Amino acid sequence: MLSPERLALPDYEYLAQRHVLTYMEDAVCQLLENKEDISQYGIARFFTEYFNSVCQGTHILFREFSFIQATPHNRASFLRAFWRCFRTVGKNGDLLTMKEYHCLLQLLCPDFPLELTQKAARIVLMDDAMDCLMSFSDFLFAFQIQFYYSEFLDSVAAIYQDLLSGKNPNTVIVPTSSSGQHRQRQVLGEASMEGVEASLFYQCLENLCDRHKYSCPPPALVKEVLSNVQRLTFYGFLVALSKHHGINQALGALPDKGDLMHGPSLDEELERLLVPRSPGLIQLGHASPEASWPAFPDPSRLAPLEALHHIPENDGSTEETDD
Amino acid sequence: MIPGKYRSVSGRATNNVEFKLNKDTPSFPGRLLQHDLERNYSSRQGDGRVISPSPRSKSSCISSTTNVTELYGLEMKTATSSLSAFGDSSIQTSSKSRIRQGCHSAGPNVSGDHINLVSSSMPSFPILQRSSEEKILYSDRLTLERQKLTVCPIIDGEEHLRLLNFQHNFITRIQNISNLQRLIFLDLYDNQIEEISGLSTLRSLRVLLLGKNRIKKISNLENLKSLDVLDLHGNQITKIENVNHLCDLRVLNLARNLLSHVDNLNGLDSLTELNLRHNQITFVRDVDNLPCLQRLFLSFNNISSFDNVSCLADSTSLSDITFDGNPIAQESWYKHTILQNMMQLRQLDMKRITEEERRMASILAKKEEEKKRENQKQSLLKEKKRLTINNVARKWDLQQRVANIVTAQDRKDSDSPSQDPCQIDGSHISASPEETGSLDSGLTSALQGLSVIDSHLVELDGDTLSLYGSGALESLDRNWSAQTAGMVTTVSFTFIEFDEIVQVLPKLKIKFPNSLHLKFRETNLVMLQQFNALAQLRRIDQLTIDPQGNPVVNFTLWKYYVLFRLSHFSMQKINGTEVTQNDMIMAERLFGILAHVASSELPQYRLISILGDARKKQFRYLLETKGKKPGIVNEENNDSKRLIGENTNRATLNYTTRDFYNERLEEIKEKKKFCKMYIEDLVKEATEINMKNEALQKLWPQMFIELVRDAVIEIRNKNSYMKLCLQQITDQK
Repeated sequence: MLSPERLALPDYEYLAQRHVLTYMEDAVCQLLENKEDISQYGIARFFTEYFNSVCQGTHILFREFSFIQATPHNRASFLRAFWRCFRTVGKNGDLLTMKEYHCLLQLLCPDFPLELTQKAARIVLMDDAMDCLMSFSDFLFAFQIQFYYSEFLDSVAAIYQDLLSGKNPNTVIVPTSSSGQHRQRQVLGEASMEGVEASLFYQCLENLCDRHKYSCPPPALVKEVLSNVQRLTFYGFLVALSKHHGINQALGALPDKGDLMHGPSLDEELERLLVPRSPGLIQLGHASPEASWPAFPDPSRLAPLEALHHIPENDGSTEETDD
Repeated sequence: MIPGKYRSVSGRATNNVEFKLNKDTPSFPGRLLQHDLERNYSSRQGDGRVISPSPRSKSSCISSTTNVTELYGLEMKTATSSLSAFGDSSIQTSSKSRIRQGCHSAGPNVSGDHINLVSSSMPSFPILQRSSEEKILYSDRLTLERQKLTVCPIIDGEEHLRLLNFQHNFITRIQNISNLQRLIFLDLYDNQIEEISGLSTLRSLRVLLLGKNRIKKISNLENLKSLDVLDLHGNQITKIENVNHLCDLRVLNLARNLLSHVDNLNGLDSLTELNLRHNQITFVRDVDNLPCLQRLFLSFNNISSFDNVSCLADSTSLSDITFDGNPIAQESWYKHTILQNMMQLRQLDMKRITEEERRMASILAKKEEEKKRENQKQSLLKEKKRLTINNVARKWDLQQRVANIVTAQDRKDSDSPSQDPCQIDGSHISASPEETGSLDSGLTSALQGLSVIDSHLVELDGDTLSLYGSGALESLDRNWSAQTAGMVTTVSFTFIEFDEIVQVLPKLKIKFPNSLHLKFRETNLVMLQQFNALAQLRRIDQLTIDPQGNPVVNFTLWKYYVLFRLSHFSMQKINGTEVTQNDMIMAERLFGILAHVASSELPQYRLISILGDARKKQFRYLLETKGKKPGIVNEENNDSKRLIGENTNRATLNYTTRDFYNERLEEIKEKKKFCKMYIEDLVKEATEINMKNEALQKLWPQMFIELVRDAVIEIRNKNSYMKLCLQQITDQK
């Protein structure tokens, strides 16, 4: 609330824009949902836990899709949760189909739409052979782009179509003379080349980013992606986005590709889980600094706070419901 | 009965032919029958002996003439032995002395004197002449047995002959006897005749013996209307034909031929005995058209079922039958089936049928009938089952297609406007929903049409309960006896939506507490999370998910997920494959983190609500039955407590069926709407207050100064202020 932007907007709009209202609504909604249970251990406690979990990004676990996609923070949290939960699948080296990835997503969000998974798979597979197997990291990064920037990508797709068919969606911005030249060039090049001209595409995208109310990738990075090539196709663009290191960092949900399989705290946890079954059989990844995601405080660090209330409440509630 | 036959034969032969002998010697017909049935002979000769009037014992006498018969063209007197033998021919034992006598009188030494076999003008035919003595003595009979004749000799001046015997020669063609119009008895046994011919003038012939020849076809018997006995055994006849006019025929012997079936017997109105032994007969027809048939011999044929000879049951006269040496006689049901179907029978396979046997037969037949009915019922049930399953399968198929179309349509509807950048062809997109829409309605109506027939099937077979079609799930509400239910260890679901199965799992758990093996086929298992639902069961040892209709099986991870999620059951087999320790570890490695995250990172209130949800769902059913069976409910309570204790960290992974989930989403939506309004109001109020507060904060310093200034101005003139104050005080009073 202390950001200077606050002064530019009326309070209500500011809260809405920052999604504070979303979380407040959801908190109350959750409260309503679990009235009986919560009333046993105090409403203040509930709100504390709720907003704590929002900060940690664990609030999206097993929630409905409409909530998961409601805010950028939720999306990032979901991406991170997905990575954390199924990192082991990637580590195992299994290549899976789109449908199977979808199933994994559904384990975390029962009503996750197939359409989004399909679109993510299209990015990986360059829009063909949809039954192909994909590696975990390929899918994850493509999915990240698709899920986080879903609305943005939809708009981009529309622009791309317009460009392909020769229309210029940004006639106001792009000078008419140059657009005419572009069109001619495009008509000439179409026979031999696929896709659209990169610079023109970027102009359109820049404009889009300006007026887009949803989150979109940082324009500078988009420019960087587009500056490397002369022409590109839609899926080529998406692939480039998904592989772009900077965008991943800007998004902040996932580690770098190289560190994707690392996660010392979870590995420890896993080892702890496995030990009673098979002592000494499993040796998972070694420790590495886990510093690159400041947005997400490690839940283990918050553990003492939770531990205060954890045990008694659990016992009480179990008995209550059993009656 | 048997002698009577011959008696009547002789009776009709109105002359002095010595059939009388037969009357006197019952042994002959007895022997006839004996030979006829070949009880003791399995050689071809057995059949050959059927009616042969010359007993074998005579051969010693005949042999002496063989040297003579070799001389064809020479004028010589030959083979008279047979002539002399003739008179004794049919006497075997009782008149042995006469045979010998005959032998002596017509022995080889004598024969030359009495019979002249001379070559005729046509060099090929010998001409036979007898001495007048002989003629007088045996005026009506002539025997040319074993004369090595290759042709029939011309028999001159013997028009009154009644009996002619050519046994054991090499005659290939019946010739030169058309002038013997009084002939009653003609014996050509054991020759090489290939065709029946040359008999058209012998209108009074009653006995024709053509056994052991090479005849391929029954023919040229048109004029032999008074034929009484016809012996064609040991030939190569393949079918019965050209006999329908023989209305006086009483004995027909077709043993040892090549018959494959029996029919075309009508017209044989007097036939009493039919010998068909040693053929290749597979079926018999027309026997019911023989009004006098008493004895039928079908031994050593290829009859394998009673249906093939069912006409026998319709014959009212048949009293004696043989089937030995047929496949049918090997069957366990043979005897009683025959007896049951042929009540008129007195002898079967040469054995008298006793009352006891008949009774047994009828009992057995009844049993057989019952068994048959039972079988029929079984097969009917089986067929019904098959049909029902087919029907269920078809319905399921339609359902799936409808569902697919609907989802496809949904998807198209939702993303056709913008999403898919590759679908440039707008018209195509807009056209397809219409198309699918019409198809959709067509399928739905077909579905309704189908529902008229049985739409589900419940089958309990030993320890396996099989459910086909969603309607079958209702059977779980039935009152299963504790024993039956306890026996069931395997439950298989086919053609049922998994989501529907999920709803009855609590019932399953209570009704079939021992079910350890679950099988799913065509149940639309598509998601890993659906397996979560199985966790609520009491125990599963084995799980079989048929790939058919369960796409989830195509996933590489499904098995591990099952093992992970249902680890508290420590399952032994999945899809028939033994679960190993390594599988378990792998499952834990893959999904352990998920469970950890789910249990340890979920906010407390959510953990409670999710666990609560799972249990509430379980209790929904239990609450319904609570009134009836409090004991079970308590047990269940303990059970679920234990279950959650075992498995806290994965109990959060549960499955709500799609309908239920949608319902919940709907509920949440409602709540959200309310919360949104509520929060909106709250926030608006708060911001308003905040705004006022801020405005006040802004104004306050100025206001304060003004207030102070006013106060200072007021009290600047001390005296007048004092006065004013006093004034006020007095006024108050």
